[in-house]
Amino acid sequence: MANKYSLHAVYFCTGCGIIEVPPVITARWDAERFGVIPVATPRQANLFLITGYVSVKTLRAIIKTYEQMYEPKYTVGFGSCPINGGMYWDSYNTIKHLDKYIPIDGWIAGCMPRPEAIFVAVTHLWTLIDKGMANGYKKYRDSYKSYRRNQEMALGKLEWPPLYPLDGGPKGSKQ
Amino acid sequence: MVIKVMQIILFPVLALIVGVFFLGLARKIMARIQWRYGPPLVQPIIDIIRLFYQNSVSHGRMFDLGIVLSLAGSIVAVLFLPFGRICPLSGSGGLLVILYIMLIAPLGLALSGGQAANPNISIGISRKLILSLGYEVPLLLVLLSIMTHYKTISIIEVVNIQQSTSWSIISFPLFVSGLSYFLILPAILGIRPFDISSAPQEISSGPMVEYGGKYLALTTIEHAYVLFISIALFVNLFLGGAVNPAIFFVKMLVVFVLSVCINAIFPRFRIEQAVKYLWKWPTLLAFLGLIITMAIRS
Repeated sequence: MANKYSLHAVYFCTGCGIIEVPPVITARWDAERFGVIPVATPRQANLFLITGYVSVKTLRAIIKTYEQMYEPKYTVGFGSCPINGGMYWDSYNTIKHLDKYIPIDGWIAGCMPRPEAIFVAVTHLWTLIDKGMANGYKKYRDSYKSYRRNQEMALGKLEWPPLYPLDGGPKGSKQ
Repeated sequence: MVIKVMQIILFPVLALIVGVFFLGLARKIMARIQWRYGPPLVQPIIDIIRLFYQNSVSHGRMFDLGIVLSLAGSIVAVLFLPFGRICPLSGSGGLLVILYIMLIAPLGLALSGGQAANPNISIGISRKLILSLGYEVPLLLVLLSIMTHYKTISIIEVVNIQQSTSWSIISFPLFVSGLSYFLILPAILGIRPFDISSAPQEISSGPMVEYGGKYLALTTIEHAYVLFISIALFVNLFLGGAVNPAIFFVKMLVVFVLSVCINAIFPRFRIEQAVKYLWKWPTLLAFLGLIITMAIRS
C-alpha cells in the first residue's frame, strides 16, 4: 500500500530517454502528484527507470545500482532500446534484451515515449503491485544463478561478489 | 506527577506530528510556488511507512547507534521547549541546556555516517559542521542579548515577560537580534540557500547517501524534530510564545511558511559563501544588538 504511493526513482541517466524526465518532474507534468520523486542514491530508491539504450559499459553500472537498491524494488524499461535494441538492433556495443541481465517489471515502448507514458507506467505499476505481479526482485533472488551467468557472458569476469549464494544454498537475502 | 509523566511521553509525539505536517506542507508550498500541483499533505507519512517496510542493511554498530543518539538528542531538546503552556521540563535548565542538546543531533548523524565510510558522507558532514560553526556564533550572540535583556536563562520567564510587555521582535534593542536570528534561521533548518550539506546534485544528498529503509525513515523523523525545535525556539524567544498551543502553532506556521518561501526562491550557496555571509551580516547585527542591550541594561 505505502510502497505504491511512494515510488522514489533513482536518478540515473542511462541513455537519451533521460531527456524526457526533467519535464516529468517539473512544472509541466508534475510527477510528485503520484509520489514519484527522483532521489540521489540507489539506497533511498525503490523505482529504477532505465531510460534509453544500454551500452555494455552502462550495463555494469546498472547491475551495480540495481543490486544496491533495497527490496522491494521495481524496474521499468523506458523506450524501445532496452526492450529489443531499438534502432541499435545491430550495434556491437549495446545490450539488446535488458531483461536477460536484470528483471524488468514493466516496459514503456516507443522512441521516444511521451512524458505522459511514464504516468501510465506508474499507474500500471500500481495495479501490478496490488496484484503482487511486480515481483521482479523475487525473481532475481530465485534465479540469480542464471542472471549472474548472463551478466558474466556480457561483461566477462565481474569484480563484485554475488549478491545471493550461487550454489543453490538457502535462499536467504543478504539485504 | 502523573500529568508530568503524561506530558513527557505525549509531547514528543505532538512535536513529531507538527514536524511531519511541516514536511508535507513544505513540499506542497514548494510545488505551488513552482506552479505544480504537488503531492498530498500526507506524502511524508506515506514515505516514512514505506521506508519502515523496506529492507535495509547496516554498516556497523555505530551506524545504528548514531541515528538513535541523534534522535534521542532531538526528543530531549523538544522536552525543554515550552509549546504554549505545555512545558514538561522547561522549568529546569532553560536556554543553556537547549544550546548543548541541539548539538547532539548533528553529532549523532556524523558518528553514524563515519561508520559507513562513504566519501560523500565525509564531505557532507564536514560541510554541516563548518556551517554550524558559521551559525553558532551569531546564535550565541543573539541568545546572550536575550539573556542580558531579560536577566534570566529560563525560556518560561522570557515568554512570561513577553506576554506581560510586548514581543521581543518589536521591542527596541532586541529587534536587531531578532532580525539576526531570522537571517540565520535557514542555516539552522538546513534549507536553501544553506542546504549545502545535503546537496543531492553535488554530493548525492551528503550524510543521507548510505541510509535506506528504516534508517532513512529515522533520519526523516529526526529532520521533522529539527524543524520543530528551531522554529519553536524562535517563536518562544522572539514572537512571545503563546498562552495556548493553537496560537503557538499558528505562529510557528507563519515563521515556517516564510522560511519555505526563502527556500523556494534562493539558489544554493557554496560553503565558503555561506560562512562569509553568516559571519558578516547576522554576526554584525547580533553583535550590535548585544552591545546596545548591554549599554541600555547596565
